[in-house]
Amino acid sequence: MTPAGSGAVRQMVLAAAALLLAGSVQAHDFWIEPSTFHPQPGTTVAVGLRVGQNFVGDPVPRFSALIEQFVIRQAGSEQPIGGSDNIDPAGFFRADGQSTAVIAYRSIGSYIELPADKFEDYLRQYGLERIIDLRAGRGERAKPGRERFYRFAKALLTGQQHSAAVAKPLGFAYEIVPEDDPTARLAPFRGRILYDGKPLADALVVAILHSDPSAQLTARSDAQGAFSFALPHAGVWLIKSVHMVRAGFFSDADWESLWASLTFEAPETPR
Amino acid sequence: MIRGWFLAAALLLMPCGAQAHEIGTTQVHFTLQRDHSWSATIITGPQALANKLEAETGQPRSSNLNADTLRAEITTLASVLANHIDVRFDGVGSPVHVTVAQLELPDDITLPSFVVLRASGPMPEHAQAVTWRYGLVYSTYAVVFADEDGGSPVTQWLDGDAMSRPFPIAANVRPLTRFEIAAQYLQLGFLHIVPEGLDHILFVLGIFFLTTKLKPILVQVTAFTIAHSVTLGLTMYGIVSLPSRVVEPLIALSVAYVAIENKMTSKLKPWRPAVVFGFGLLHGMGFAGVLTELRLPRAEIIPALISFNVGIELAQLTVIAAAFFTVAFWYRDKWWYRARIAVPASAAIAATGLFWTVQRVFWA
Repeated sequence: MTPAGSGAVRQMVLAAAALLLAGSVQAHDFWIEPSTFHPQPGTTVAVGLRVGQNFVGDPVPRFSALIEQFVIRQAGSEQPIGGSDNIDPAGFFRADGQSTAVIAYRSIGSYIELPADKFEDYLRQYGLERIIDLRAGRGERAKPGRERFYRFAKALLTGQQHSAAVAKPLGFAYEIVPEDDPTARLAPFRGRILYDGKPLADALVVAILHSDPSAQLTARSDAQGAFSFALPHAGVWLIKSVHMVRAGFFSDADWESLWASLTFEAPETPR
Repeated sequence: MIRGWFLAAALLLMPCGAQAHEIGTTQVHFTLQRDHSWSATIITGPQALANKLEAETGQPRSSNLNADTLRAEITTLASVLANHIDVRFDGVGSPVHVTVAQLELPDDITLPSFVVLRASGPMPEHAQAVTWRYGLVYSTYAVVFADEDGGSPVTQWLDGDAMSRPFPIAANVRPLTRFEIAAQYLQLGFLHIVPEGLDHILFVLGIFFLTTKLKPILVQVTAFTIAHSVTLGLTMYGIVSLPSRVVEPLIALSVAYVAIENKMTSKLKPWRPAVVFGFGLLHGMGFAGVLTELRLPRAEIIPALISFNVGIELAQLTVIAAAFFTVAFWYRDKWWYRARIAVPASAAIAATGLFWTVQRVFWA
C-alpha cells in the first residue's frame, strides 16, 4: 500500500480490473517497447512503439511527420534516435549500458472524433469523469467527442548502475516522473504526475505488469502530484496516465488529451 | 520495402480529419473470387497477435517465443482468431477459416517481424455487398477490397475493430441505366436545395424580393445559374478549390448582401447581375461539396453534373414559384407590397445571413 506520508493517495489493487477490461476500449494506450530492457554496453537496441490496451500493443512504424521528439538520454548526453520511416521497429541506437538510460518519445497532436456515447465510455474508462461533467455543463453530451491527442512516452533501460537522472523531468507537457530509479530494485514505485511542469492532483495512474495484465494497480495523484504503487512482482511494468483539457479557441478539436506512459523492468534482485 | 511504400502512400491518401489512432503495421487484402468464395490476407505483428489470443483464452502471456513456437501457438488458436473476423454478405455472417501462411521472426532485431494469415469462406451467390471487421487490431489499418469479377480495388481505412463500409459485389450488382443515374442525381440536386439548403433558398428569395417584375428576376436567376454551373464543374474536376471555411461564410454573406440591397432599391442596378454572378460562383463550390463526397466514377461525372444541376434549377424555380404564389401573385399590385412584404422579408433574410456569417467564421 501507499507509504506513510502520502495519505491522500488512494491505491487499490483491482484483481479483476473489470471496468478497464470490459468491452471495447475506444481510445488506446501508447508506450515504448525496446528489444531489451537491460542492454549490454555497446549493443544495438531496437525501439518499438506500441498502441493498444492492457499492455498488448500493435507495432507502430516510425512516421517522422508525427514525431516531435524521439531521443535517448544516456551517459550524460541526449541523442536523437535514428530510424527509417514506415518501418517497425521505429528506431535504433547503441546502448551505453553503464547506467540507467531514458528513451523519450513525444508526438505532435492527432485528431480523432468519436460518437458521443463511445467518447463518454472512454472518458469513464480512463478516469476522466470530470470531462463528462464539463461536457454536461456545456450542453455537449450529445455531441461527438472531437479531440486532439498527444503522446508522451518514456522507457527506462537498466544499466550496470542506477541513475538519479531518471528522476529529472524531461519537460513534457504531461509526464510521469519516478522519484527514484525503479530499475534498481523491486520496491514501491513512487512517482509524480506533472502537467506543464507543475504537479497535477487527482490524476488516475494505472500500473500493468506485462506478464499478467489482468491484475492492474490504480492510484490517484495527491495535491503534490505524487502517487505510489507497491509493485508485487518483478518484471516489465507499464505506468500510464491520461489528462484532458479544453482545446484552444482556434483548435479544430474541442478537447486535447495528453497520454503519458513509462515502461521499465523491475528486477528480481537489487543491483 | 514494398510495405514501407504502401504505408507511405497510405498515409498520404488518408483523408484529413479522419478518425484515427496511430497507423500500425496491420494490412488486409480482401478478394472476392469467381468461384463464389472470398479470401483475405492479413499481415500483422505475430507476438501481439499471440498475446491477444492468449488473453482471449485466459492463457498466460507468452514473450520471446521463437518462430516455430509462435507459429504453432497461433495455429492452435486459429479458431479463436476466426471468431474475430467478421465477414458479412448483405448483413449475414460468413463462416471463416484461418490458416497461418507465413511467419517471419528475424534474429536481426533491426528487421520487422510479421505473420501472414489466410482467411477464407464461402460467398452467397446473389449477395450484393460485403463488409469486413477484424476485432484483433488496436491501430488504424487499411483494408483493400478487390473483386475478380471486375471493378477497381477500393481501399478503406478502419480504426481498430471498426466495421468497413459495404463493398459492392460486381457480378451481382446490376449497373444502373443512364436514366436511373440521371434521376438519382436530379433528385440529389433538388433535395440539396429543398429542403436541405436553407442558405441557398434564402439567396434565391433575396433575388425574388428585389422586384415583382419578371425580367429582373430572370436576369438574376440566369446569372446565378451560369455562375454556379461553371464552378460546380470546375470544382468537380479539381480545377478550382477553396476551403469550405472560406466558401461557407461568403455564401452566408451573399445571402445578407442581396437582401440588404433589396432594402436600398427595387430596380435592377447594372452591378446586381454581376454581383449575383460572383456569388453564384461561390454557391457552385458549395454545391460541389455533396458531389465530391460521393467520389463519383469518372464516367459518371458528366451525366451526374448535368442532372444534379437540373435538380438545382428545378428546386430554385420551385422556391420562386412558391414565393410567387404565396405573396406576389396576390399582393404584387398593392401599394404596400414592398413596404410590408418585400422589405421586412429582406430584412429577415439579411439578419439571418449576417448571423450565419458570424457563426461560420467563429463557430464553424
